Amino acid sequence: MHPNALRRAGAAVLTLALGAAAGCSSVDQVKLHLPLRPKLPLRGNERIALAPFILVKQADEVKDKRLANIDVQAEFHRFLKKQLEKKTKFDVIETPPDVKLPTQNLGDLARAQEFWAAVGTQTSAELIVSGSLEFRVEDRSGYKTEEYQSPIDGRTYYRQVYVEQTGYVFDIVFLVLDGRTGEKLLQDEFKDFRQTGSKQRDELSGLFENLFSLENQILNTFVPREREAERYIFTD
Amino acid sequence: MKLNRTFLFLLFVAGACTSYPHPDKASTQIEFGTYVAKKGLWREAAFRYEQAAQRSPNDARAHNNFAVALEASGDFARALDEYKKALEIEPNNNYIRRNYARFAEFYTAYTKTTGKPSGAP
Repeated sequence: MHPNALRRAGAAVLTLALGAAAGCSSVDQVKLHLPLRPKLPLRGNERIALAPFILVKQADEVKDKRLANIDVQAEFHRFLKKQLEKKTKFDVIETPPDVKLPTQNLGDLARAQEFWAAVGTQTSAELIVSGSLEFRVEDRSGYKTEEYQSPIDGRTYYRQVYVEQTGYVFDIVFLVLDGRTGEKLLQDEFKDFRQTGSKQRDELSGLFENLFSLENQILNTFVPREREAERYIFTD
Repeated sequence: MKLNRTFLFLLFVAGACTSYPHPDKASTQIEFGTYVAKKGLWREAAFRYEQAAQRSPNDARAHNNFAVALEASGDFARALDEYKKALEIEPNNNYIRRNYARFAEFYTAYTKTTGKPSGAP
C-alpha cells in the first residue's frame, strides 16, 4: 500500500477509535494555518553573508561513490541564497572565495569570534551564516516484527518481515553570527530523512527533496512562516 | 466591490440563519459556528461558539470549539484559557486532550524566540 494511503487509513482508524472513546460524538477535523515566529528577532532588511560550511563525512561516506559527484557545499549555498533572495528582503551576499574556515570543528567555529568579526568587517555584513552540512545515504533496512491474522484459525500471530528502507539524510547545523561582534546569535539543527521510492533515484534529487522539506524550517530562522495544523471541532 | 462582498456575506449569513431556527440554543450556535468555520469564517465561528459557551457554560464542546476558532483567529492566549476550561469540564475527552496537546506544542514554540538580537543598530 502507498505510504500516503496507509497514513490516511491510519488517521481514519484513529478518528473512529477516538469517536468510540468519546461516546460517538459528532466530530470534524479542520485545518488551521498557524503562524511561526522567526527564531531571530531581526529588522528584515539586514545584509547577510553566506560563509562556507563544514562538510561532515563519516569514514564510510568518503568511499561512497554515489556521493562523489555531488558538491553539497555549492548546492546548499545556491539553494539558501535563492530562497533568501526570493522569500526575504535581506541583502544576501557570499563571502569572498579567499575566506577559509579557521577550523573544522563546529564548537570551535561557533566560538571563533575574532574570525567572524573580521569576516563581518570585510563584507560589511550584519549577519553571517555558517555551520555544518552532512548528506548521506542511509540504509535502514532490516527485520521488523509484524502482526498478522491467520486465515486458517483466525488467531493473531507475529512474524518477522524484512523491510527495505533506504533513503537520504541531510543534517544541517546552522550558525548565525553577528557580523559586528562575531558573537554566535543562534545555533540550530535541521534534519530530514527521505525514503527512496521503488524506482532508482539519483542522489542529487534526493538532496533537493531533503532541502525542500526543510525549506520552511530554515527560512523560519529569519522570517515568519506559516504551518498547517489539524484540530477537532464538535459539530453538534 | 467591497460593498458587493459585504452584501453577499450578509445574504449568505441571513440565508444560513433561516435553517437554524432556535438561535437561543447552544447547540444551534455550535451547529452554525461549525457551518461557518468550515467555510473559513473563523471570526464569525468564534462569535457563535462564544455565544454557545455563554448559554451553556458547562458544555466542554462549546469551549473546545471556541478555543479552536480563537486559535484560528490568532488569539492564542484566550484559546489557551478556553482549552483549559474545556478540559476541566471533560478531562477524559480524547478529542479535547489531543487538541490541547497540539495547541500546547505550538504555543510553546510560538512564544519563545531562541536567538539573541543582533548587535547591529
